Amino acid sequence: MGQPNPNAIISIRGATKHFGKVRALNDVDLDVHPGEVVVIIGPSGSGKSTLLRCINRLETIDRGEVWVDGLQVNDRKTNINLVREEVGMVFQQFNLFPNLTVLDNIMLAQRIVRNRKKSEAEEVAQELLIKVGIPEKGNTYPLKLSGGQQQRVAIARALAMNPKIMLFDEPTSALDPEMIKEVLDVMLDLAREGMTMVVVTHEMGFARAAAHRIIFMDQGYKITDTSPEDLFENPEHERLKLFLSKIL
Amino acid sequence: MAATAQAYDSGLSPRPLIDVRAFARRLVRRQSWLIAFIVLDIIIAIAILTDPILIDAWLFISPGISVSLSITLASFAISIFIGLIVALMRISKNPFIYNIATFYVEIFRGLPLLVIILIFNFVFVPALVDAIAGVDESTSQTGETIAARPPIYFLDDLLQRLVGIPEERIAETTIRSRDIDESWRIVLAFAVTYGAFMSEVFRAGIESIGRGQMEAARSLGMSYFQAMRYIILPQAVRNILPALGNNFILLLKDTSLASAVAVPEVSFLTRQFSSNRFRYPEGLLVLSFIYANLTILLAMLVNALEYRLQADRREN
Repeated sequence: MGQPNPNAIISIRGATKHFGKVRALNDVDLDVHPGEVVVIIGPSGSGKSTLLRCINRLETIDRGEVWVDGLQVNDRKTNINLVREEVGMVFQQFNLFPNLTVLDNIMLAQRIVRNRKKSEAEEVAQELLIKVGIPEKGNTYPLKLSGGQQQRVAIARALAMNPKIMLFDEPTSALDPEMIKEVLDVMLDLAREGMTMVVVTHEMGFARAAAHRIIFMDQGYKITDTSPEDLFENPEHERLKLFLSKIL
Repeated sequence: MAATAQAYDSGLSPRPLIDVRAFARRLVRRQSWLIAFIVLDIIIAIAILTDPILIDAWLFISPGISVSLSITLASFAISIFIGLIVALMRISKNPFIYNIATFYVEIFRGLPLLVIILIFNFVFVPALVDAIAGVDESTSQTGETIAARPPIYFLDDLLQRLVGIPEERIAETTIRSRDIDESWRIVLAFAVTYGAFMSEVFRAGIESIGRGQMEAARSLGMSYFQAMRYIILPQAVRNILPALGNNFILLLKDTSLASAVAVPEVSFLTRQFSSNRFRYPEGLLVLSFIYANLTILLAMLVNALEYRLQADRREN
């Protein structure tokens, strides 16, 4: 097990995780530098979501180390809420709070975690709704929005905390095809602004356009870690070739 | 529908403010039971107002309504509090906390309510008072209880204040179990029993909320309890509102068991009236009239609350 990389904002060393007898993660190393967009691809069950969820400790690892912005995430003594304040997360199923309006969804954590004043939180929320393209939906309840709109609210909710890192766990997998683009556009904007992003996705178009590096995972192993050009033009690994032939 | 609308628009007949026929149809289809109930209710009310024995029964029994209701409300409030805490303990990963809570739930779900009432009234509360105030009760010539320093004197003082012993005498006397009104003893009995049932309701409600909600809240940096308070519980409570309302009505009806320890609620007063006057039909008619009206009012209240809390699921 190596030392965490001091220049990386996320540094994972030797992460290993079992679900029962299944090895979800096998001795995975990963460094993400500030401003980098890292896309993780791989077949289902390859451990890519698990790896992502280890970064903000939604999953704990059995062995190895995870460092985020100087805090050791896998150390139980670390106040995980401090890490999570700096790490926004967007889920496949959106997970908006159905009992709150769109505005309140975006304002709640600002109020009770960041201790912002109501007026300030509301201002941030309105700005973000403009940014994700649905300024008129503030007083609507989430379940009345389309999937694409819900996912954009979820992105706004995460951004409202001014995170240093954004994690995306298959953000477009639950969307109808015609709504995927509106979500990816928001993510592309974020990438251009220099947000540090780790994205688990099957959207190769997004990976090609936005990723600095693409990680290919299979059966809990990190197989390759390459630039998009190398990955698409001359994939080296057999399993990667097989995977790409199925999805491209 | 379109044809009707056209007829209205062409001015053949003025458009009514409310569609009376649709309203009436809906009323008959969905609310006939309520209409029947109200008609029966009015008939019985008139009977009570006109029949001299029924009037007597009403005058004798009705003061117990406030007793029944206040026992219900107090027990319900405490049982919700207990239920919530115990539910959180039951979903705890800590085995010690989980087992304590489960032990409590299984014991109090398993004992008949009447038995619990008798235990609280005759055993538990006196024992508790003895533990707080001490068993040594020496009596002066005037019959006053002489104060020995009670083992837990601040609780003793607090309890005396609660039961309304005059402030200037609190230092001299200690609390005795006869000072504690039966109503309070059975409120405790109801609260711990229903608390056990409520905890299961709350637990089911919390578990009905998908794991993603907790994950989303935690990933924003909220603590476990913040996520519970702002995200999970508000949704859980909405899901379990029918069950909570149901328990409230059951509790109101179960307060009739308090008559076993002579608390002057409606059932106890009915038994007194009926046996004094040998008038069982009249007493029981008035009693049923009271319970039926209270429970139906409560049910309607719960429905209204449910409707209000569904705002985000309705159109617009």
